[in-house]
Amino acid sequence: MKTLVACSLFTGFVLLFAGCDSADPEPEPVLLNVKMAENIPADPVSGRDPDTGASISNNLFTLYDLEAGSILIPSSQTDAATRQRDSASTAWDIGFRGTTIIFNGGTSGPGEAAAQLLAQPFAEVTEAPEGGYVADGENASCPEVSTPVGPVPGSPYAICTGSDNGWYNYNPGTMLLLPVPGRTIMLRTASGNYAKMRILSYYQNNPNPPDASVPSRYYTFEYVLQPDGSRDLASE
Amino acid sequence: MRLFRLFLALVVVIPAATARAQHVPADSAKTDSSRVVEMSPIVVTATRSEKALEDVALPTTVVLAETMRMQGAVRLSDVLVAVPGLALFDDHGAGLQVQGFAPEYTLILLDGEPVIGRTAGTLDLNRLTVQGLDRIEIVRGPSSSLYGSEALAGVVNLVTAPAAEGFRGALGGRFGSFGTTDLTVEAEAGREQGGARLFFNRYASEGYDLTPASFGATSPAFTDWTADWRSRLALSDRVLLRLGARATVEDQESAFALRADGVEVRYDDEGRRIDWSLHPEARIRLSDRLRLTTTLYGARYQTETRYRRQRDGVLTYEDDFDQRYLKAEAQFDAIWSRRHFTSLGGGAARERLGGARYGPDADGERPAANQGYAFAQHEWLPLRLLEVSASARFDAHSDYAARLTPKIALLVRPADNLRFRASVGSGFKAPAFRQFYLAFANAAAGYSVFGATRLQEGVARLQAEGAIDQLFINPAALEEIRAENSVAFNIGGSVEPFSRLAFSVNAFHNNVRDLIETQPIARKTNGQFVFGYFNLARIYTRGVEADATIRAAAGRQHRLDIALGYQLLQARDREVVEALETGTVFGRDPSGREYRLGLGDYGGMFGRSPHTATFRAAYAHAPLGLTASVRGRWRSRYGYRDLDGNALANRDDEFVMAYAVFDATVTKSVPAPGSADAEVQLGVDNALDVTRPALVPSLPGRRLYVSLRLTL
Repeated sequence: MKTLVACSLFTGFVLLFAGCDSADPEPEPVLLNVKMAENIPADPVSGRDPDTGASISNNLFTLYDLEAGSILIPSSQTDAATRQRDSASTAWDIGFRGTTIIFNGGTSGPGEAAAQLLAQPFAEVTEAPEGGYVADGENASCPEVSTPVGPVPGSPYAICTGSDNGWYNYNPGTMLLLPVPGRTIMLRTASGNYAKMRILSYYQNNPNPPDASVPSRYYTFEYVLQPDGSRDLASE
Repeated sequence: MRLFRLFLALVVVIPAATARAQHVPADSAKTDSSRVVEMSPIVVTATRSEKALEDVALPTTVVLAETMRMQGAVRLSDVLVAVPGLALFDDHGAGLQVQGFAPEYTLILLDGEPVIGRTAGTLDLNRLTVQGLDRIEIVRGPSSSLYGSEALAGVVNLVTAPAAEGFRGALGGRFGSFGTTDLTVEAEAGREQGGARLFFNRYASEGYDLTPASFGATSPAFTDWTADWRSRLALSDRVLLRLGARATVEDQESAFALRADGVEVRYDDEGRRIDWSLHPEARIRLSDRLRLTTTLYGARYQTETRYRRQRDGVLTYEDDFDQRYLKAEAQFDAIWSRRHFTSLGGGAARERLGGARYGPDADGERPAANQGYAFAQHEWLPLRLLEVSASARFDAHSDYAARLTPKIALLVRPADNLRFRASVGSGFKAPAFRQFYLAFANAAAGYSVFGATRLQEGVARLQAEGAIDQLFINPAALEEIRAENSVAFNIGGSVEPFSRLAFSVNAFHNNVRDLIETQPIARKTNGQFVFGYFNLARIYTRGVEADATIRAAAGRQHRLDIALGYQLLQARDREVVEALETGTVFGRDPSGREYRLGLGDYGGMFGRSPHTATFRAAYAHAPLGLTASVRGRWRSRYGYRDLDGNALANRDDEFVMAYAVFDATVTKSVPAPGSADAEVQLGVDNALDVTRPALVPSLPGRRLYVSLRLTL
């Protein structure tokens, strides 16, 4: 601020003789905020089967509104009418159930949302790609399940499911499910705005170091949303 | 020429000879105490026939009983941890890492026959006492062309000492930290025609706890009993019968805690292991140039595991495992001329499994496998300075694809003090039991896993139950599962530039394919997968092993030997290497910063130190009857976990820090009544008290011990 004032004063004196940088007509880019979403439940364990002791869950998505930064319907909402009403709206952008992520568009909802996964660090993405977004149900390029008799197509979600196919890696030895580093989810929201996001943790309260004994299916993620419809994603 | 003499000597002499015949040096003129290599021991593992160590074309190490005693070793792990180029690997027991391979790729033999019983691929080296052994032979690189499955990384052969002539009794006891005791009673009697040796060994420990903050000991309390019988009987000067038998029982007790829904629940853990083996053998000299060895071998390995909840004593988990192995084999050794020597052999083996995890199939049949094999080896000396040895083995197995495994090895000796060795060979490892026979459904997570022989019926059953949403492939269309296999190159040599100095070096490259991994084969209606086992992954391990032995002092009264060893190792997954080269692999530091990784950031496969070094010094003072030994081993850091989601070790907190461990022993013979010999030994293991709690459970800090041995 001080610099700006000083520069303005200085400009007043010397304007006739020389230019000042800040006097150039090009506007300062507006830096966007990095928003953080913590402990978003993604259909966590809701009880145990009394006979087998196996954990059970509702098998429902949590639907999240990136523009407002809030949950529209949690996976704990089991009322079918409420879910039907809200999920059929464009008030949500992204949904989480276990490791599966959906976007409000295509086969998942009435919105315009679509996404793609970039092999680029989150901090290095300053502009959303122009093309390459696919809606749920339209992704024909998911890494197939490799089998000895040839490939079998994966689920056609915008972000492919399965370990190392999409956003996460699962290690059966340590039983840790970790987001793959250097993977950035580029997306268009239900109303057509661009955003980038990365997932930081799948465990409650984002334990550091990661700990498989902590309850899972709680997303912590950060994202940058450009509300003006442009593809500019420069952030602080 | 030497080969011919040696072979003739052995073929003719052995059946009638005394037990120590194998110690007769190939060329007795070579025994010279001013030389660091006083005489070359006779070894049997690399070629399945007797041969002087220095004339073996494969990288081979021998540890003699005398060395083991001087080092205060009681279990196989104590011996192998001190051998240059070998590393131990904690995974369901102390496993052995040879040339960068996990423990399941090294074959462990007792008098040439396989020791059975592995957990998660690891044969726990603490199961085997070194009592009664004459020597341990370690052959690096694949020997599958003679031994078949598991001999992919190397072979370790525990060779027992045949009963000597006369009568001998021995008592030994060792008492040390953590309530560890090792007691042995041994009796031996022999004449020219026959002899027998029997020993009992009891090895026990109260266990230890490196992580007092968490409930449960790091190492459980246990008691292990071993009874071992070895006998020989010469029926005539042509027929020698041998019988070996061993039985061991181990009981162990421990406790652990699990967290369920945020509450700690404590359990008692009880385990018992019973295993035995029986090994009759007949060696028949058919003519001066032809010998037949017929062997029967039977072994059984059983374990019982019980978990009881401490709160109410309820049995919450029980698991039994039962493995039976039966083998019959015949081997002909023929010497055609001074330059040609052939071994031909074949056999059949049957293996049966029992236990909760390996249930009967749809027809009610318990898992069982049959195997037939034949092998051939020809050794040829085209020139005095050159020896070529070629071998191959054919294995046909009821549950995996038949295979042929060849190997060729070359030894060049341009001078008496110089040897070059080179070999190219293939190794293989049969699919593990779970990869064949598992039929597992995880009730909590909802997925299923089937072994190769259970996949078709398992998927059919799930389909009938309507539990399959999408079948990716028809299990009936799958190829038969193949053994994991490698092609290996070893090249090196040894030189004695001076009589007091010896060097040896070996470079290795193992190219491994068809490693078996799980892959989904169907999606279930609950969204989870059905997994099968497929030949997929490819890795390579390569490196250099080098050691130097120096006789620093060689007086009439005392001598000092120093040995240094070093290994450089690279063990890498090819898929990871390809991804790193294309630049799609990143790391993420704890603050969240992401950065691209290159090939140089790859710490290699988990559990492999790129650098390891060993140091040994042995001092003997004859007038005082005193020996002292100091051993050190250092390993550079190694990856052991992934914390940032790229499935490889790249961050500092994903590595076990480098460490060095030093052991020392002093042994002195003391006066004993009559004709008895007595020996006292004081020792310290891990003198610098290095620990890596929770990361290296087998490193319990400093341990002191005293042992006494009385021979009558």
